[in-house]
Amino acid sequence: MKELLIIRSVSFQQLDKNLAAIAKAYPDHRISILTHEHGVMLAQKYRQVNDIYVYPYKEGFKLKNKVPVLKDKTFDVVIVPVTNITGAGFFNVLLFSLGLKASKRVLCNVRSEFKEVRRFSVLCLGLKNLAISVLSSVSTAVLAVFVIPFLPFKLRNLEKKGEL
Amino acid sequence: MNTPLVSIVSICWNRKTDIMESLKRIREIDYPNLEIIVVDNASTDGTPEMIAAEFPDVRLIKMYKNIGIEAYNIGFHNARGEYIVILDDDSFPQRDAIRRMVDKFERDPQLGVVAFDVRNFYDYDDVKNDAFEGTGQALGETAATAENYLLAFNGAGAGVRRDLLEEVGFYPDEFFLYWNEQDTAFRILDRGYTIKFFADVVSYHKYSPTNRSSWRAPFYYTRNAFWLIWKNYPLEMAIPLTVSLIRECFYFSMEQKTMIYLKAMVNAFVYMGCLKGKRKPVSMEIAKNLRIPFNVSFTFYR
Repeated sequence: MKELLIIRSVSFQQLDKNLAAIAKAYPDHRISILTHEHGVMLAQKYRQVNDIYVYPYKEGFKLKNKVPVLKDKTFDVVIVPVTNITGAGFFNVLLFSLGLKASKRVLCNVRSEFKEVRRFSVLCLGLKNLAISVLSSVSTAVLAVFVIPFLPFKLRNLEKKGEL
Repeated sequence: MNTPLVSIVSICWNRKTDIMESLKRIREIDYPNLEIIVVDNASTDGTPEMIAAEFPDVRLIKMYKNIGIEAYNIGFHNARGEYIVILDDDSFPQRDAIRRMVDKFERDPQLGVVAFDVRNFYDYDDVKNDAFEGTGQALGETAATAENYLLAFNGAGAGVRRDLLEEVGFYPDEFFLYWNEQDTAFRILDRGYTIKFFADVVSYHKYSPTNRSSWRAPFYYTRNAFWLIWKNYPLEMAIPLTVSLIRECFYFSMEQKTMIYLKAMVNAFVYMGCLKGKRKPVSMEIAKNLRIPFNVSFTFYR
């Protein structure tokens, strides 16, 4: 039996939809899920899921956040579900998936359409996003000069009187 | 088992077929003491007429225009139940959910919100393990919690103590759409109550992101993320979070080639005056531990 891992990067409502399509598209695979701690009890309710691994962090999926329990695991397919059509806004999850040992990484969009994403294309996307990241940091720094000095004053001004 | 009055509160806006199906399913709920309130946001597709004709037992409250989530507050204000169940117009609780919810509230006086496990109406029954949900109580502990962080709840299925909701001031009407549950969650947690998801308390939702028109979700999620920060976080967290969110607005605008996030950011700053008197920073413990996935704002556009 081949091994398939779903990174739970979307709500359970969407995963309910995606899971049926994943099971159909990969019938000879044993399905496991990686989810935040609060998702374990909810993921256990899936009939087709065998193992549930805990992503032991509060924040979203990031390359720097390693999952010790997956260190020695190898998967034939890692699925990254996304809440839109293109996967925009999910680069962090794709990048995280590079830290897992997998033969294939596949994006599963909101319509349950599958698209294989090769390591090389994730890295190319990473270079493009690095350039965007630098530009956005510069833009933020410029804006921050005008906004941040006044923000503490503005926020204090918004406070509810008599309850602090 | 004690069966106190439970008020189900839903709002609707031009979703006649969805609300009709939800109300039919609500009729099948196994609980003897229910009050159903629907606040119509000035639908023009015949929704209020349909509700009045086919569901005479429902308390229908009509708005003269679409006032967004503020309509919930009208419903909450009119609710008489000890507990309020919050639903979307396209969601409804599973048959046993209300009974199980009441049981959990009655057992734990510090439980402020029973967050339902909100599932996909179209697909969930095909993928679920029937044995797991079972009779609920046979499962033992069903709370889906985390050791190191706190959770908010989903407005497509949540039960809350009515007196607590009144105490914290209902939903933030200035938000219009989205992040309102998280804002309310901050205030509920700040009052010393807990919010817990339960695997055996299920709500079905007609999950379909195509229902979200292209600009509304990214705009309101992004704008309200700023307001959520400014209303609830202590200054030492609010400033760096604001900077980080500004950076993400620039980043995702460039990544997705759209101006919607920048427009939402500008709107947040221009109209921040509407938060006057509404900022009440929570404790550092709650601010640090409540899990708010701000990046959700940037995942709906394409």
